[in-house]
Amino acid sequence: MEPSLRPDVQTPPPLLLEPVTEPRGVFGPLNDLLAQPLAVVDRARQGMNFAPLRLLAGGLACCALYGAAAGFFQGGTQILLAALKVPLIVALSLLLCAPSLYVFAALNGVRWSWRSYLAVMAGFAGTLGLLLAGLLPIAWLFSLSSRYLLAVTWIHILLWVLALLVGWRFLRRALASIGAQGGMFLWLLLFCIVSFQVATFLRPVLWHPRGAPVFRLGEKMSFLEHLGEAADVLVPSSR
Amino acid sequence: MAGFSEGRLLRGLDGLLADVAAGRNLARHGAGLVLRMAACAALYGAVFGGWHGPRLAGYVALKLPLVLLLTSALTLLFSWLAARFLGVPLRFGQVAVLTFLGLAVASLLLASLSPVAWLFIHCAPAPSPAARTAHNLLYLMHTLFLGSCGLAGTAVLWRGLRRVEAPRRALRTVWVLWVLTYAVVGGEVAWVLRPFVGSVYVPVIFLRRDALNGNVYEFVVTDILPHLVDTVLH
Repeated sequence: MEPSLRPDVQTPPPLLLEPVTEPRGVFGPLNDLLAQPLAVVDRARQGMNFAPLRLLAGGLACCALYGAAAGFFQGGTQILLAALKVPLIVALSLLLCAPSLYVFAALNGVRWSWRSYLAVMAGFAGTLGLLLAGLLPIAWLFSLSSRYLLAVTWIHILLWVLALLVGWRFLRRALASIGAQGGMFLWLLLFCIVSFQVATFLRPVLWHPRGAPVFRLGEKMSFLEHLGEAADVLVPSSR
Repeated sequence: MAGFSEGRLLRGLDGLLADVAAGRNLARHGAGLVLRMAACAALYGAVFGGWHGPRLAGYVALKLPLVLLLTSALTLLFSWLAARFLGVPLRFGQVAVLTFLGLAVASLLLASLSPVAWLFIHCAPAPSPAARTAHNLLYLMHTLFLGSCGLAGTAVLWRGLRRVEAPRRALRTVWVLWVLTYAVVGGEVAWVLRPFVGSVYVPVIFLRRDALNGNVYEFVVTDILPHLVDTVLH
Protein backbone atom coordinates (compact mmCIF):
# COMPACT_ATOMS: atom_id res chain seq x y z
CA MET A 1 0.00 0.00 0.00
CA GLU A 2 1.51 3.31 -1.11
CA PRO A 3 1.18 6.35 1.16
CA SER A 4 -1.37 9.03 0.36
CA LEU A 5 -0.40 11.61 -2.23
CA ARG A 6 -1.05 14.58 0.06
CA PRO A 7 1.85 17.01 -0.44
CA ASP A 8 3.85 18.65 2.31
CA VAL A 9 2.24 21.80 3.67
CA GLN A 10 4.84 24.01 2.01
CA THR A 11 5.89 22.41 -1.25
CA PRO A 12 9.52 23.41 -1.80
CA PRO A 13 11.07 24.01 -5.21
CA PRO A 14 12.31 20.84 -6.96
CA LEU A 15 15.87 19.63 -6.28
CA LEU A 16 16.47 18.49 -9.85
CA LEU A 17 16.59 20.49 -13.02
CA GLU A 18 15.03 17.70 -15.10
CA PRO A 19 11.27 17.15 -14.72
CA VAL A 20 10.56 14.38 -12.23
CA THR A 21 8.05 11.76 -13.35
CA GLU A 22 6.52 8.96 -11.32
CA PRO A 23 8.37 5.61 -11.44
CA ARG A 24 6.79 2.91 -13.60
CA GLY A 25 6.97 -0.87 -13.38
CA VAL A 26 8.43 -3.16 -10.74
CA PHE A 27 12.00 -1.98 -11.30
CA GLY A 28 11.04 1.65 -11.98
CA PRO A 29 11.97 2.99 -8.53
CA LEU A 30 15.36 1.19 -8.52
CA ASN A 31 16.03 2.33 -12.07
CA ASP A 32 15.21 5.89 -11.06
CA LEU A 33 17.59 5.65 -8.15
CA LEU A 34 20.38 5.06 -10.65
CA ALA A 35 19.33 7.75 -13.11
CA GLN A 36 18.30 10.45 -10.60
CA PRO A 37 19.21 9.39 -7.06
CA LEU A 38 17.49 12.33 -5.40
CA ALA A 39 14.28 12.07 -7.45
CA VAL A 40 12.67 9.96 -4.72
CA VAL A 41 13.11 12.77 -2.18
CA ASP A 42 11.96 15.34 -4.72
CA ARG A 43 8.82 13.35 -5.50
CA ALA A 44 8.03 13.01 -1.83
CA ARG A 45 8.41 16.75 -1.32
CA GLN A 46 6.23 17.56 -4.31
CA GLY A 47 3.43 15.26 -3.23
CA MET A 48 3.94 12.79 -6.08
CA ASN A 49 3.88 9.00 -5.78
CA PHE A 50 7.44 8.11 -4.68
CA ALA A 51 6.78 4.34 -4.33
CA PRO A 52 8.65 3.78 -1.02
CA LEU A 53 7.37 0.24 -0.58
CA ARG A 54 8.43 -0.84 -4.06
CA LEU A 55 11.82 0.77 -3.49
CA LEU A 56 12.23 -0.94 -0.13
CA ALA A 57 11.06 -4.29 -1.53
CA GLY A 58 13.42 -3.96 -4.51
CA GLY A 59 16.34 -3.12 -2.23
CA LEU A 60 15.62 -6.07 0.05
CA ALA A 61 15.23 -8.40 -2.95
CA CYS A 62 18.72 -7.34 -4.06
CA CYS A 63 19.96 -8.08 -0.51
CA ALA A 64 18.39 -11.55 -0.78
CA LEU A 65 20.31 -12.19 -4.00
CA TYR A 66 23.54 -11.12 -2.31
CA GLY A 67 22.67 -13.41 0.61
CA ALA A 68 22.22 -16.33 -1.78
CA ALA A 69 25.68 -15.65 -3.23
CA ALA A 70 27.12 -15.53 0.30
CA GLY A 71 25.44 -18.85 1.09
CA PHE A 72 27.62 -20.56 -1.53
CA PHE A 73 30.36 -20.68 1.12
CA GLN A 74 28.61 -23.69 2.64
CA GLY A 75 26.22 -24.42 -0.21
CA GLY A 76 23.04 -26.50 0.00
CA THR A 77 20.26 -25.16 2.17
CA GLN A 78 22.54 -22.41 3.51
CA ILE A 79 22.06 -20.60 0.17
CA LEU A 80 18.36 -20.27 0.97
CA LEU A 81 18.95 -19.47 4.63
CA ALA A 82 21.46 -16.73 3.85
CA ALA A 83 19.12 -15.37 1.15
CA LEU A 84 16.50 -15.06 3.87
CA LYS A 85 18.77 -13.71 6.59
CA VAL A 86 20.67 -10.97 4.72
CA PRO A 87 17.55 -8.91 3.87
CA LEU A 88 16.39 -9.52 7.46
CA ILE A 89 19.69 -8.12 8.77
CA VAL A 90 19.40 -5.00 6.60
CA ALA A 91 15.70 -4.48 7.34
CA LEU A 92 16.09 -4.97 11.11
CA SER A 93 19.15 -2.67 11.22
CA LEU A 94 17.22 0.03 9.36
CA LEU A 95 14.26 -0.40 11.68
CA LEU A 96 16.42 -0.17 14.80
CA CYS A 97 18.29 2.89 13.52
CA ALA A 98 15.23 4.66 12.09
CA PRO A 99 14.46 6.67 15.27
CA SER A 100 18.07 7.79 15.64
CA LEU A 101 18.16 8.91 12.00
CA TYR A 102 15.07 11.01 12.64
CA VAL A 103 16.45 12.62 15.81
CA PHE A 104 20.09 13.03 14.68
CA ALA A 105 18.99 14.60 11.40
CA ALA A 106 16.42 16.85 13.09
CA LEU A 107 19.13 18.09 15.47
CA ASN A 108 21.31 18.76 12.41
CA GLY A 109 18.68 21.01 10.86
CA VAL A 110 16.55 18.63 8.77
CA ARG A 111 12.93 19.68 8.39
CA TRP A 112 11.31 16.26 8.30
CA SER A 113 7.88 15.34 7.00
CA TRP A 114 6.73 11.72 7.09
CA ARG A 115 6.97 11.60 3.32
CA SER A 116 10.54 12.87 3.17
CA TYR A 117 11.51 10.55 6.06
CA LEU A 118 10.08 7.52 4.23
CA ALA A 119 11.72 8.65 1.00
CA VAL A 120 15.17 8.92 2.61
CA MET A 121 14.86 5.55 4.36
CA ALA A 122 13.53 3.75 1.27
CA GLY A 123 16.11 5.46 -0.97
CA PHE A 124 18.95 4.43 1.35
CA ALA A 125 17.67 0.83 1.47
CA GLY A 126 17.37 0.79 -2.33
CA THR A 127 20.87 2.22 -2.76
CA LEU A 128 22.39 -0.37 -0.42
CA GLY A 129 20.46 -3.15 -2.17
CA LEU A 130 21.67 -2.07 -5.60
CA LEU A 131 25.27 -1.81 -4.43
CA LEU A 132 25.11 -5.27 -2.85
CA ALA A 133 23.68 -6.59 -6.13
CA GLY A 134 26.67 -5.02 -7.88
CA LEU A 135 29.04 -6.72 -5.44
CA LEU A 136 27.22 -10.05 -5.81
CA PRO A 137 29.58 -11.61 -8.42
CA ILE A 138 32.59 -10.75 -6.24
CA ALA A 139 30.90 -12.13 -3.11
CA TRP A 140 30.01 -15.30 -5.00
CA LEU A 141 33.60 -15.86 -6.19
CA PHE A 142 35.07 -15.46 -2.70
CA SER A 143 32.28 -17.49 -1.06
CA LEU A 144 32.88 -20.35 -3.45
CA SER A 145 36.67 -20.37 -3.13
CA SER A 146 37.33 -19.49 0.53
CA ARG A 147 38.28 -22.16 3.05
CA TYR A 148 38.15 -20.26 6.35
CA LEU A 149 34.97 -18.85 7.85
CA LEU A 150 36.96 -15.96 9.29
CA ALA A 151 38.36 -15.03 5.86
CA VAL A 152 34.98 -15.04 4.15
CA THR A 153 33.45 -13.13 7.09
CA TRP A 154 36.07 -10.39 6.69
CA ILE A 155 35.45 -10.26 2.94
CA HIS A 156 31.72 -9.71 3.56
CA ILE A 157 32.51 -7.07 6.21
CA LEU A 158 34.75 -5.23 3.74
CA LEU A 159 32.15 -5.44 0.95
CA TRP A 160 29.42 -4.23 3.32
CA VAL A 161 31.54 -1.29 4.52
CA LEU A 162 32.31 -0.46 0.87
CA ALA A 163 28.58 -0.47 0.04
CA LEU A 164 27.90 1.76 3.06
CA LEU A 165 30.62 4.24 2.08
CA VAL A 166 29.37 4.50 -1.51
CA GLY A 167 25.74 4.62 -0.31
CA TRP A 168 26.71 7.38 2.11
CA ARG A 169 26.74 9.86 -0.78
CA PHE A 170 23.01 9.31 -1.36
CA LEU A 171 22.21 9.72 2.32
CA ARG A 172 24.39 12.83 2.71
CA ARG A 173 22.92 14.55 -0.35
CA ALA A 174 19.35 13.52 0.45
CA LEU A 175 19.65 14.87 4.00
CA ALA A 176 21.40 18.03 2.81
CA SER A 177 18.53 18.64 0.36
CA ILE A 178 16.09 18.79 3.28
CA GLY A 179 18.25 21.00 5.46
CA ALA A 180 20.97 18.85 7.15
CA GLN A 181 24.04 20.86 8.13
CA GLY A 182 26.37 17.83 8.10
CA GLY A 183 27.57 15.64 10.95
CA MET A 184 25.45 12.66 9.91
CA PHE A 185 28.42 10.34 9.32
CA LEU A 186 28.10 9.39 12.97
CA TRP A 187 24.72 7.85 12.19
CA LEU A 188 26.26 5.79 9.37
CA LEU A 189 28.84 4.51 11.85
CA LEU A 190 26.06 3.61 14.27
CA PHE A 191 24.12 1.85 11.49
CA CYS A 192 27.23 -0.12 10.55
CA ILE A 193 27.83 -1.31 14.13
CA VAL A 194 24.13 -2.12 14.60
CA SER A 195 24.14 -4.19 11.40
CA PHE A 196 27.12 -6.23 12.75
CA GLN A 197 25.21 -6.90 15.98
CA VAL A 198 22.00 -7.78 14.09
CA ALA A 199 24.00 -10.24 11.98
CA THR A 200 25.25 -11.79 15.23
CA PHE A 201 21.70 -11.86 16.64
CA LEU A 202 20.43 -13.68 13.52
CA ARG A 203 23.43 -16.05 13.30
CA PRO A 204 24.42 -18.43 11.81
CA VAL A 205 24.42 -16.67 8.44
CA LEU A 206 27.34 -18.14 6.50
CA TRP A 207 28.13 -21.44 8.21
CA HIS A 208 25.52 -23.68 9.80
CA PRO A 209 26.92 -26.79 11.54
CA ARG A 210 24.91 -29.97 10.92
CA GLY A 211 22.11 -30.34 13.47
CA ALA A 212 22.52 -26.83 14.88
CA PRO A 213 19.44 -24.58 15.15
CA VAL A 214 18.67 -22.21 12.26
CA PHE A 215 18.55 -19.27 14.70
CA ARG A 216 20.36 -18.89 18.05
CA LEU A 217 18.25 -16.00 19.31
CA GLY A 218 18.42 -17.15 22.94
CA GLU A 219 22.23 -17.23 23.14
CA LYS A 220 23.69 -13.83 23.95
CA MET A 221 26.88 -12.75 22.20
CA SER A 222 28.47 -9.49 21.00
CA PHE A 223 29.57 -9.16 17.40
CA LEU A 224 33.23 -9.04 18.50
CA GLU A 225 32.86 -12.41 20.27
CA HIS A 226 31.07 -13.71 17.18
CA LEU A 227 34.02 -12.69 15.03
CA GLY A 228 36.33 -14.50 17.47
CA GLU A 229 34.13 -17.59 17.24
CA ALA A 230 34.40 -17.50 13.44
CA ALA A 231 38.19 -17.72 13.78
CA ASP A 232 37.89 -21.17 15.32
CA VAL A 233 35.94 -22.69 12.41
CA LEU A 234 37.90 -24.39 9.64
CA VAL A 235 35.54 -25.52 6.93
CA PRO A 236 36.14 -29.15 5.93
CA SER A 237 37.24 -29.55 2.33
CA SER A 238 34.30 -31.89 1.71
CA ARG A 239 31.76 -29.10 2.18
CA MET B 1 59.16 8.41 -37.70
CA ALA B 2 58.85 7.56 -34.04
CA GLY B 3 57.23 10.92 -33.36
CA PHE B 4 54.78 10.38 -36.22
CA SER B 5 53.80 6.96 -34.88
CA GLU B 6 53.41 8.29 -31.36
CA GLY B 7 51.31 11.16 -32.65
CA ARG B 8 49.04 8.77 -34.54
CA LEU B 9 48.68 6.55 -31.51
CA LEU B 10 47.77 9.50 -29.28
CA ARG B 11 45.33 10.92 -31.86
CA GLY B 12 43.70 7.47 -32.06
CA LEU B 13 43.43 7.37 -28.28
CA ASP B 14 42.05 10.90 -28.20
CA GLY B 15 39.41 10.01 -30.78
CA LEU B 16 38.44 6.91 -28.83
CA LEU B 17 38.22 8.83 -25.56
CA ALA B 18 36.10 11.51 -27.25
CA ASP B 19 33.76 8.77 -28.50
CA VAL B 20 33.57 7.21 -25.05
CA ALA B 21 32.81 10.57 -23.41
CA ALA B 22 30.05 11.17 -25.97
CA GLY B 23 28.77 7.58 -25.72
CA ARG B 24 29.38 6.97 -29.45
CA ASN B 25 30.25 3.60 -31.09
CA LEU B 26 30.65 1.91 -27.71
CA ALA B 27 29.94 -1.63 -28.96
CA ARG B 28 32.46 -1.28 -31.80
CA HIS B 29 35.15 0.19 -29.54
CA GLY B 30 34.46 -2.39 -26.84
CA ALA B 31 34.72 -5.32 -29.23
CA GLY B 32 37.90 -3.95 -30.81
CA LEU B 33 39.55 -3.39 -27.43
CA VAL B 34 38.60 -6.85 -26.15
CA LEU B 35 40.08 -8.45 -29.27
CA ARG B 36 43.32 -6.48 -28.97
CA MET B 37 43.53 -7.13 -25.26
CA ALA B 38 43.00 -10.87 -25.77
CA ALA B 39 45.56 -11.08 -28.58
CA CYS B 40 48.25 -9.16 -26.67
CA ALA B 41 47.60 -11.00 -23.40
CA ALA B 42 47.68 -14.33 -25.24
CA LEU B 43 51.06 -13.42 -26.74
CA TYR B 44 52.55 -12.57 -23.35
CA GLY B 45 50.77 -15.60 -21.86
CA ALA B 46 52.49 -17.90 -24.34
CA VAL B 47 55.85 -16.57 -23.13
CA PHE B 48 54.71 -16.53 -19.47
CA GLY B 49 53.99 -20.27 -19.48
CA GLY B 50 56.90 -21.07 -21.78
CA TRP B 51 59.34 -22.12 -19.05
CA HIS B 52 57.54 -25.46 -18.71
CA GLY B 53 57.31 -26.09 -22.47
CA PRO B 54 54.69 -25.65 -25.17
CA ARG B 55 51.78 -27.25 -23.26
CA LEU B 56 51.78 -24.76 -20.38
CA ALA B 57 52.58 -21.98 -22.88
CA GLY B 58 49.36 -22.85 -24.72
CA TYR B 59 47.38 -23.05 -21.49
CA VAL B 60 48.62 -19.67 -20.24
CA ALA B 61 48.03 -18.08 -23.66
CA LEU B 62 44.39 -19.00 -23.04
CA LYS B 63 44.29 -18.31 -19.32
CA LEU B 64 45.85 -14.84 -19.17
CA PRO B 65 43.17 -13.23 -21.41
CA LEU B 66 40.63 -15.24 -19.42
CA VAL B 67 41.85 -13.72 -16.15
CA LEU B 68 41.34 -10.21 -17.56
CA LEU B 69 37.93 -10.99 -19.05
CA LEU B 70 36.60 -12.86 -16.00
CA THR B 71 37.77 -10.12 -13.65
CA SER B 72 36.05 -7.54 -15.85
CA ALA B 73 32.86 -9.63 -15.86
CA LEU B 74 32.90 -9.88 -12.07
CA THR B 75 33.63 -6.21 -11.37
CA LEU B 76 31.85 -4.27 -14.14
CA LEU B 77 28.43 -4.16 -12.50
CA PHE B 78 29.83 -2.80 -9.24
CA SER B 79 32.11 -0.35 -11.09
CA TRP B 80 29.13 1.05 -12.96
CA LEU B 81 26.87 1.25 -9.88
CA ALA B 82 29.63 2.83 -7.77
CA ALA B 83 30.27 5.45 -10.47
CA ARG B 84 26.57 6.34 -10.67
CA PHE B 85 26.15 6.58 -6.91
CA LEU B 86 29.33 8.64 -6.53
CA GLY B 87 28.07 11.20 -9.02
CA VAL B 88 29.89 10.14 -12.20
CA PRO B 89 27.04 9.69 -14.69
CA LEU B 90 28.51 6.99 -16.95
CA ARG B 91 26.50 4.43 -18.90
CA PHE B 92 27.31 0.75 -18.46
CA GLY B 93 28.82 0.63 -21.97
CA GLN B 94 31.10 3.58 -21.20
CA VAL B 95 32.37 1.90 -18.01
CA ALA B 96 32.99 -1.31 -19.98
CA VAL B 97 34.93 0.46 -22.76
CA LEU B 98 37.02 2.45 -20.26
CA THR B 99 37.85 -0.76 -18.38
CA PHE B 100 38.77 -2.58 -21.59
CA LEU B 101 40.85 0.41 -22.69
CA GLY B 102 42.97 0.24 -19.53
CA LEU B 103 43.37 -3.51 -19.94
CA ALA B 104 44.17 -3.26 -23.66
CA VAL B 105 46.93 -0.72 -22.94
CA ALA B 106 48.32 -2.91 -20.16
CA SER B 107 48.20 -5.96 -22.48
CA LEU B 108 49.89 -4.06 -25.31
CA LEU B 109 52.71 -3.09 -22.95
CA LEU B 110 52.97 -6.69 -21.75
CA ALA B 111 53.15 -7.93 -25.34
CA SER B 112 55.96 -5.46 -25.99
CA LEU B 113 57.84 -6.96 -23.03
CA SER B 114 57.44 -10.52 -24.34
CA PRO B 115 60.92 -10.65 -25.94
CA VAL B 116 62.52 -9.54 -22.65
CA ALA B 117 60.55 -12.12 -20.68
CA TRP B 118 61.45 -14.75 -23.28
CA LEU B 119 65.17 -13.99 -22.89
CA PHE B 120 65.08 -14.55 -19.11
CA ILE B 121 63.02 -17.73 -19.48
CA HIS B 122 65.35 -19.01 -22.19
CA CYS B 123 68.37 -18.41 -19.95
CA ALA B 124 66.79 -20.07 -16.88
CA PRO B 125 67.63 -23.70 -16.02
CA ALA B 126 64.96 -26.27 -16.92
CA PRO B 127 62.17 -26.77 -14.34
CA SER B 128 63.17 -29.22 -11.62
CA PRO B 129 63.10 -29.25 -7.80
CA ALA B 130 66.66 -27.90 -7.93
CA ALA B 131 65.53 -24.86 -9.92
CA ARG B 132 63.51 -23.22 -7.14
CA THR B 133 65.54 -20.02 -7.28
CA ALA B 134 64.97 -19.70 -11.04
CA HIS B 135 61.25 -20.32 -10.48
CA ASN B 136 61.08 -17.62 -7.81
CA LEU B 137 63.04 -15.13 -9.93
CA LEU B 138 60.79 -15.74 -12.93
CA TYR B 139 57.76 -15.33 -10.68
CA LEU B 140 59.11 -12.00 -9.43
CA MET B 141 59.86 -10.82 -12.97
CA HIS B 142 56.34 -11.63 -14.22
CA THR B 143 54.78 -10.01 -11.14
CA LEU B 144 56.85 -6.88 -11.76
CA PHE B 145 55.90 -6.76 -15.45
CA LEU B 146 52.21 -7.40 -14.79
CA GLY B 147 52.11 -4.87 -11.95
CA SER B 148 53.87 -2.08 -13.81
CA CYS B 149 51.88 -2.62 -17.04
CA GLY B 150 48.69 -2.67 -14.99
CA LEU B 151 49.68 0.66 -13.43
CA ALA B 152 50.28 2.13 -16.89
CA GLY B 153 46.83 0.87 -17.92
CA THR B 154 45.25 2.62 -14.94
CA ALA B 155 46.97 5.87 -15.99
CA VAL B 156 45.19 5.68 -19.38
CA LEU B 157 41.97 4.84 -17.57
CA TRP B 158 42.40 8.03 -15.53
CA ARG B 159 42.97 9.98 -18.73
CA GLY B 160 39.67 8.66 -20.04
CA LEU B 161 37.81 9.36 -16.81
CA ARG B 162 39.05 12.97 -16.76
CA ARG B 163 37.02 13.59 -19.93
CA VAL B 164 33.78 12.85 -18.11
CA GLU B 165 31.89 15.89 -16.89
CA ALA B 166 31.86 15.35 -13.13
CA PRO B 167 33.61 16.86 -10.10
CA ARG B 168 37.32 15.99 -10.04
CA ARG B 169 37.05 14.59 -6.50
CA ALA B 170 34.28 12.18 -7.50
CA LEU B 171 36.27 11.07 -10.56
CA ARG B 172 39.33 10.40 -8.43
CA THR B 173 37.31 8.39 -5.90
CA VAL B 174 35.73 6.33 -8.70
CA TRP B 175 39.13 5.71 -10.30
CA VAL B 176 40.70 4.54 -7.02
CA LEU B 177 37.70 2.34 -6.29
CA TRP B 178 37.77 0.75 -9.77
CA VAL B 179 41.49 0.05 -9.60
CA LEU B 180 41.33 -1.40 -6.06
CA THR B 181 38.30 -3.58 -6.87
CA TYR B 182 39.94 -4.84 -10.05
CA ALA B 183 43.22 -5.57 -8.27
CA VAL B 184 41.59 -7.45 -5.37
CA VAL B 185 39.25 -9.52 -7.58
CA GLY B 186 41.91 -10.00 -10.28
CA GLY B 187 44.29 -11.43 -7.68
CA GLU B 188 41.71 -14.03 -6.72
CA VAL B 189 40.75 -14.90 -10.31
CA ALA B 190 44.41 -15.40 -11.19
CA TRP B 191 44.82 -17.57 -8.09
CA VAL B 192 41.84 -19.75 -9.12
CA LEU B 193 43.22 -20.13 -12.67
CA ARG B 194 46.79 -21.01 -11.56
CA PRO B 195 49.37 -22.34 -12.55
CA PHE B 196 51.03 -19.73 -14.78
CA VAL B 197 54.77 -20.10 -14.24
CA GLY B 198 54.29 -23.76 -13.29
CA SER B 199 55.44 -25.63 -10.20
CA VAL B 200 58.83 -27.30 -9.95
CA TYR B 201 57.26 -30.20 -8.03
CA VAL B 202 54.04 -31.14 -9.86
CA PRO B 203 53.35 -31.89 -13.54
CA VAL B 204 51.76 -29.35 -15.89
CA ILE B 205 47.97 -29.08 -15.66
CA PHE B 206 45.39 -26.60 -16.96
CA LEU B 207 43.71 -26.00 -13.59
CA ARG B 208 44.59 -27.34 -10.17
CA ARG B 209 42.18 -29.78 -8.55
CA ASP B 210 42.07 -27.53 -5.47
CA ALA B 211 41.51 -24.36 -7.53
CA LEU B 212 38.49 -23.39 -5.45
CA ASN B 213 39.77 -24.67 -2.12
CA GLY B 214 41.02 -21.52 -0.41
CA ASN B 215 41.41 -17.96 -1.66
CA VAL B 216 44.63 -16.08 -2.35
CA TYR B 217 44.34 -13.81 0.69
CA GLU B 218 43.90 -16.80 2.99
CA PHE B 219 47.08 -18.19 1.45
CA VAL B 220 48.94 -14.93 2.08
CA VAL B 221 47.79 -14.77 5.73
CA THR B 222 48.13 -18.46 6.64
CA ASP B 223 51.17 -19.41 4.56
CA ILE B 224 53.31 -16.53 3.26
CA LEU B 225 53.15 -14.14 6.25
CA PRO B 226 53.92 -16.78 8.94
CA HIS B 227 56.82 -18.02 6.78
CA LEU B 228 58.17 -14.47 6.42
CA VAL B 229 57.79 -13.77 10.13
CA ASP B 230 59.50 -17.07 10.94
CA THR B 231 62.36 -16.22 8.58
CA VAL B 232 62.81 -12.76 10.09
CA LEU B 233 62.67 -13.96 13.72
CA HIS B 234 64.99 -16.95 13.31
